[in-house]
Amino acid sequence: MALLAMATVAAAEPPETVRFITCPTYRDTDAGRKSGCWLADDRATGRRYDVSAAPSKPDWNHEILVEGKAAEAPDRCGGIVLDPVRTSVLAGTCTRHMLPAEGYPGNRFSLPKRDVAPMAAARAVPPGPYSTRTFRLFFGFDSAFLMYQYDDYLLDRAITWIRAAKPRTIVVTGYAASGPETVSGRAIAEDEEIARDRAERVTEALVRLGIDRGIISVRTDTRPRPVDDPDADGLVEASRRRVDIEARF
Amino acid sequence: MLGATTLLLAGSIAARASRDGPTAPADRWWAPGSNRTFPTQADYADTTGTLRVLLTGGPLATKGHPFFTPVGPNGRACVTCHQPADAMSLSAATATERWQATGGKDPLFAAYDGSNCPTLPQADRASHSLLLGYGLFRIQRPWPPRAAKGGAVTPDFDIEIARDPWGCNSGKYGPGAGNISVYRRPRPLANMKYLLAIGFAYDPKQGLPLALDPETGKPVSGNLMADGRASTLDAQMRDAAATHLELLEQMTPTDMARIVDFESRIYTAQQADRTGGAVDIAGAEGGPAKLANSQAGQLGSIGKPVWSEFEAWEKPAPGLGPARAAFRASVVRGAHVFRDKTFLITDSTGINAPIGFGNPVRNSCVFCHNMSQMGNDVAPGQVDLGTTNQPFADPMPWLPLFRITCRKAPHPFYGRVIYTSDPGYALTTGRCADVGKITLQSLRGLSARAPYFSNGVAKDLRAVVDFYDRRYTIGYTEQEKRDLVNLMSVL
Repeated sequence: MALLAMATVAAAEPPETVRFITCPTYRDTDAGRKSGCWLADDRATGRRYDVSAAPSKPDWNHEILVEGKAAEAPDRCGGIVLDPVRTSVLAGTCTRHMLPAEGYPGNRFSLPKRDVAPMAAARAVPPGPYSTRTFRLFFGFDSAFLMYQYDDYLLDRAITWIRAAKPRTIVVTGYAASGPETVSGRAIAEDEEIARDRAERVTEALVRLGIDRGIISVRTDTRPRPVDDPDADGLVEASRRRVDIEARF
Repeated sequence: MLGATTLLLAGSIAARASRDGPTAPADRWWAPGSNRTFPTQADYADTTGTLRVLLTGGPLATKGHPFFTPVGPNGRACVTCHQPADAMSLSAATATERWQATGGKDPLFAAYDGSNCPTLPQADRASHSLLLGYGLFRIQRPWPPRAAKGGAVTPDFDIEIARDPWGCNSGKYGPGAGNISVYRRPRPLANMKYLLAIGFAYDPKQGLPLALDPETGKPVSGNLMADGRASTLDAQMRDAAATHLELLEQMTPTDMARIVDFESRIYTAQQADRTGGAVDIAGAEGGPAKLANSQAGQLGSIGKPVWSEFEAWEKPAPGLGPARAAFRASVVRGAHVFRDKTFLITDSTGINAPIGFGNPVRNSCVFCHNMSQMGNDVAPGQVDLGTTNQPFADPMPWLPLFRITCRKAPHPFYGRVIYTSDPGYALTTGRCADVGKITLQSLRGLSARAPYFSNGVAKDLRAVVDFYDRRYTIGYTEQEKRDLVNLMSVL
């Protein structure tokens, strides 16, 4: 079927990476719960992308910053599939726009790979020996909110290790990508204050998970470099917006 | 389990317009200070059938028990507003009966919160119209809010009074004097293990691990009280004693422990429907015994589907009369509609923001009402359905109206200015993004405790369904609405 044709990305080429600002469009397919499609048009190229795989999804009232890589995946929504992809809700307002299914099946919901387990599920104790290690959490643009089914999973993994390793001190460093960049013809930069907000929020999270506030020190950095971390999914710019949790012995 | 004979008896008693079921105490009303024994099982006739109340661990002598004893000056006890026959809540119908029985002298109508405002003439029925008509008590919250540990909370919004029909948001009762008055239904004190259960370590609505009880340092479920101002039964008790009971001194640790023990042993649910019969026969697993015997805190989507207790009724039992068969089939369909009929959920904080599900997101009732057996939220359940916020709320001229102005970031869906009859969770957190969020309601024993929603605006279960249908443009068919009502009536 034409609608299910592969959005082909030549196998020999590295996947296309895109970064743009736009207003999102919701396509109301109905393949059950959470099955609707989120589409985003890059105005510079005229291409329409499917950004439904983002862990934190758009709000049709607001502009979004799209950062993603084109995937070899069937077109189930009416756009080139981006996966991995991040969508950050921005302050700029949009006119709501919803498309009907128009024959697109949408995406049947399945649990994402970063889905935190219930408390009742036993966590495997990470084996020692333990030495200095850094865990990272990643954020949306200008946001300190720990993303559901992403940051909670990463935090759960970190706290499981920290509880087993019992580090002497923990350094929480919040970063803000405050260096201006031009995206879709617009200069954007994170507020420097978001670095502290992120660090304090993660500190609060660690305390709520049983870590003594006294062993945590908080730092900020407003000129972060990207990191090559598997949980950043290769999204270079998004990897700047993070908190490092460094466990020291 | 009710046997067939008992059911028939219950039916005949209902037909005689008696309000008590076959094993009910002689007096439905549990007056404070009465010397009675709370039985291990009590059945009460309600609007659609029979409510059952179970007390696990044996009967309880209520004489001198702090839940049943008036400890404050106004003559009330906890049981005054948490009546067994009303599923441990209090229906507007019961309030009206007490007014008629006592000429308004019952401690239930205490000026402090059982009237629309203490400044009104207390002998006038009209001064208690919110309790009599909508089952609402006045809840006086501090303004600005205070943190659970006692420190001040700096709100990120201003609050002004746009409408004050009873004068209780003016003068010494108004924000200028450090107070805000809202009006809310009492929440049922039963099935508490479900409301206290913790399924996951994280609160996805807040983007943080669960909050900690300031006293014990342990994580809390976040599912107590409409505005989440108390997160443990102890904290709830202290709040209630200081306000509803007007108790000036602290309750003793011994009394609090006895109340918690009682509250932890009480289970209520509908046991039988007048048309559908007992809810725990023919393979069905309704009723409070199932609640008492099940593990709390399980997510229906990965375990026992919500309201699958009635699955066995999908196949009609041989010899079932047509009316009973039709009712049971309707309940089963209602459970399917509840779980499977999806619609677009829009502009609801706690769902569409900031959690990241997207705005809109397609899902069903069970998206939020997701806990097996109970239908409350496994995560802390603070959500803005629009029951109190304009433009989604129905016109409610009998309630105050507040004008909220967000000082920092605007509310994600309402903008800078919000009109609300109850800021809800925002009166606890001080955040404008939380205006109108109300902790999800318990869904058990509904037939015994109308009206519904925190502000009592839904006079019956059909009005609940109609509100959702309007709010989210669901487009339920008439059949689906009836099926949902029938389902909810047997929970």
